Amino acid sequence: MNQLIPIEYFLTFGAILFVIGAYGVMAKPNTLIVLMCTELMLNAANINFIAFSAFMGDAYGQVMVIMTISVAAAEVAVGIAILLNAYKVRKSTNADDLTSMRW
Amino acid sequence: MMFMDYVWLVPLIPVLCFVIVGFLGNKMGPKAAEGGFLVIIGTAASFVLSLLVTLEYVGFIGDGNLYPNAVENHIDWFKIGIYQLTFGYYIDILSCLMMLFASFISTMIFTYSLGYMHDQGPRQRRYFAEVALFLTGMLGLAVSSNLLEMFIFWEIMGLCSYLLIGFWSFNHPEGDDKADNAASAAKKAFLVTRLGDVCLMGGLFVLFFAMGGHLEYNVVFNADNLAAAYENNSEMLTLASLLIFGGVIGKSAQFPLLDWLPDAMAGPTTVSALIHAATMVKAGVYLVARCFPLFALDANVMLFVAVIGGFTAFFAASMAMNNMNIKKVLAYSTLSQLGYMFLSLGAGGYMMACSIAVTGGQIVIEEPELFAVGCLGYAAGCLHMVNHAFFKALLFLCSGSVIHANGTEDMRLMGGLHKKMPKTSITMLIGTMSIAGFPFFAGFFSKDLVLDVVFEVFEESCGTEEMIFIALWILGIVTAFMTAFYMFRMWFMTFMGEYRGHHCHGESPKSMTVPLMILSIFAFGAGFALLLGWDGVFTFMGSEHSEGQILQWIVGGWDRPNVGVHWLEELFTNWKTYVTIVLVFVAVAIAYLMYVKKSINPGKFSKDGQSVLYRTISNRYYFPELYNQFSWKLGYDVARGVEFIDRQIIDGSVNGLSNAVVGSGDLMSKAQDGNLHTYASVVLGGVVVLFVAALALFYYGGVF
Repeated sequence: MNQLIPIEYFLTFGAILFVIGAYGVMAKPNTLIVLMCTELMLNAANINFIAFSAFMGDAYGQVMVIMTISVAAAEVAVGIAILLNAYKVRKSTNADDLTSMRW
Repeated sequence: MMFMDYVWLVPLIPVLCFVIVGFLGNKMGPKAAEGGFLVIIGTAASFVLSLLVTLEYVGFIGDGNLYPNAVENHIDWFKIGIYQLTFGYYIDILSCLMMLFASFISTMIFTYSLGYMHDQGPRQRRYFAEVALFLTGMLGLAVSSNLLEMFIFWEIMGLCSYLLIGFWSFNHPEGDDKADNAASAAKKAFLVTRLGDVCLMGGLFVLFFAMGGHLEYNVVFNADNLAAAYENNSEMLTLASLLIFGGVIGKSAQFPLLDWLPDAMAGPTTVSALIHAATMVKAGVYLVARCFPLFALDANVMLFVAVIGGFTAFFAASMAMNNMNIKKVLAYSTLSQLGYMFLSLGAGGYMMACSIAVTGGQIVIEEPELFAVGCLGYAAGCLHMVNHAFFKALLFLCSGSVIHANGTEDMRLMGGLHKKMPKTSITMLIGTMSIAGFPFFAGFFSKDLVLDVVFEVFEESCGTEEMIFIALWILGIVTAFMTAFYMFRMWFMTFMGEYRGHHCHGESPKSMTVPLMILSIFAFGAGFALLLGWDGVFTFMGSEHSEGQILQWIVGGWDRPNVGVHWLEELFTNWKTYVTIVLVFVAVAIAYLMYVKKSINPGKFSKDGQSVLYRTISNRYYFPELYNQFSWKLGYDVARGVEFIDRQIIDGSVNGLSNAVVGSGDLMSKAQDGNLHTYASVVLGGVVVLFVAALALFYYGGVF
């Protein structure tokens, strides 16, 4: 198969994207950014799917990506709705302030 | 087989009376409400049936032959694993004897109760229901075909004695103190006999295993089975015998479990008569007689029985010497007479154990003369049991009549009653002469037979046993002397001299005096039954092996055609008999001089009740205190120890476990801090760990 860009580049890119996302989820105080970072991690996975799909000449990976995108869209809608309501009550989107669901 | 097939009705009729009177009595008409008549009719029916069965068994009716073996019949009851337990009846002459005198004397006592309990109103219903159940226990025990069944009826009696001794625990006619007294006496009777019952139960367990899972009489007491079990493991049989005798000690109130019986006088006098004459304490004697083949395998067990019996006879008699309570004197005399029975059974059994040998899976009688002495001891014990039943029932009912008329049990408040209640006086004199052993009265024959047996055993034994048996014989003679003294002291204090009480109603009603007269005939004449020649009558299963089946060792087995006459002849050509007779008359004379003539002051011997001996005896040798000390000190300490184990160790381990779970849960819940970042980090960390582990396995573990 004719490859203009080697697959390693895609995988490295995906890994960088995933690490940035993971860092944001763990370290960023703003919940909106945490949500965006989860999207980054999802899309890192999507890039891997696409890369392998193209590399293997197989359409299953693309099917998977379309499903992930639709699920991610729904998830973001729900996440933003929760976040908005939390903001209405708490006047804050800081994850460190939203700790009442615990023991 | 005519009446024999219906022998199960004998205990069934009283239990039906119990159910009808006890549960349905309030639905009956006003006249029958108290249930007395129904119970008396039922008991009389039981008596008639047991008489017919006995007559059939000894061959007076039916096909005219003495049954060679016991009659046994049973149904399957339940099964545990491979062990089949049965329920049935077992009739030999011992069962017949027990049924006969228990039902006959009960009929008399219940008839008497009509008069004695008439002022109790509706509470009579409870009384009659309970005595009917009591009699069921005794009759059931007599006809039981295995030891487990026997044990059930044994426990029914224990329950009924508790209920009846405590009959007045709610409203005693003499006030609340007496009611409390009755309640604690009932508890004491129940607990002390329970101590023995635990032993008995243990004995049954041991026997059950020693005999390979059988408790039926015709298996357990079969000579071949016994011999096999003996050769297999004789210690088990000895242990079983001793434990069973432990139950007997509790039930028949022998030393050291004797203290409940005098306290049991807190019940109505008729109940005392029932317990002492017809039921309860006789069950212990019956059990020893029934288990004789087992006991007789070990001479030391029988020696133990004899020593306990002989010592109790003396010990109890000494406590009767200075008691002022008419019922308690009788209670102690019962203990003493029961001691005679065990002395006789034990001495006879000892001789029997010495005369047999177990060789090659068989019990062989090596010395028939000694064996015959053993049989005589067995017969004398059973005979004394029957005679005692008659005269003790009579004496208790007479004392009940006196108490009924005077409203007190204290002999110091009686005296001179002979003129006021002549029928009671005469009948009680007959009973007193019988128990004291006046010649030709019932007690004379059996008591002298007992002493005769003990002396013969002394002559035949040697070494330490010789010393033991001569000591027991002397104790027996001394007890005979003491018995005559305290019984006549009681009679003189009650019926002779000046009246010292406050008020006497005079002679009791006919329903009470007629049973007294009937019983006094037997109290006099029962001894002559000896003359019938008990040849082949006192039987029990033993050896001799016809077709490997059970045969009898027959008391009359030595070659005399008429044993009764032989015994009588022996009795009157024997110097020992005359020694006892002389002692009895001397004792009566002393009692007469002390309590009627007043020429000897009894206070002189006791330093007016201040001497150590007098006070020791009055305090029953400090036995109740000993019991209290024992139960308070030791019992409490044991209970505290058990409480410690329960609360600290058992509860502690359970509580500790739950605390550990709760505590660790608390600790772990701190990890749930609600912070999004912590969760995310943990999830990621977990993924990384899993990933690294998977990689490691992939490269080094060769899993994939």
